[in-house]
Amino acid sequence: MMSVAPASDAAATATDDLKGPAAGFGLAAAIAILFNALLAWEPLSGYMASLAGDFWRTPGVAPVVAFFVLGYLFTYHKFRINGFRLAVLLAAASIVAGGGLALWFALV
Amino acid sequence: MNDVILFAHPIFGMLGVLASVWVFVEALNASEANRSRIRIAAFIVTGCLIAAWALGGYWRTAFYSPEKVIILKGPWPWAHNFVMETKERLFFIPLILALYLPIAAAANLARNGGARVVVMVAAAFIALNGLAIEGAGAVISYAVKVAFVHAGDAGVE
Repeated sequence: MMSVAPASDAAATATDDLKGPAAGFGLAAAIAILFNALLAWEPLSGYMASLAGDFWRTPGVAPVVAFFVLGYLFTYHKFRINGFRLAVLLAAASIVAGGGLALWFALV
Repeated sequence: MNDVILFAHPIFGMLGVLASVWVFVEALNASEANRSRIRIAAFIVTGCLIAAWALGGYWRTAFYSPEKVIILKGPWPWAHNFVMETKERLFFIPLILALYLPIAAAANLARNGGARVVVMVAAAFIALNGLAIEGAGAVISYAVKVAFVHAGDAGVE
């Protein structure tokens, strides 16, 4: 027996594209993840630390602020992306940032 | 109270990991029936990781400095120089993904294959990073213990 979907869902067609906040904040998440990895670079982390007087405070908030600001901007500009492409982008950003951070602190 | 904060930090982290596995499984079997359950689970992941972030950040700024000195003077200085330095930055990957998860999960995952894969990838990376971070936390706390044991041995000698 088929389940009865709500009218709004029944009218919607199957798609792989993302739009609105799901697309905008998705791209922002990938960029914020890479930006967070860049903060390990001494001159940048030193500058960020000087803003709040503590090493952790500013770098501990900056990636989250970047995520929300960029997410709002991308959503406002009606950014669209294929969901599979965004998934690859998020996975690549996480692997590059995580591996890069580990490698950086292993070598420094 | 300080010990409660110290233990609550990894507990919320692990609850976030468990909830992200829940999101992954629900998204894998996405249908009209579990649509609201996916959203609830996604919000639980976000809540848990925000709590872990706030508690860990407070602990890091208020209490970690003396422990850092102890670790650096002990036989495992790499527990700070490599493990802690990496861990405290790596944490932002699952945190940002957790903040994004409810936004992606708001889409109809049963009809949007792209959104479904995005939610599954985000949930998987939250779980994998979370487990790595939990392990790193165990190494750091053990490094403090090793440093004290080492200092005790040196005192006896």
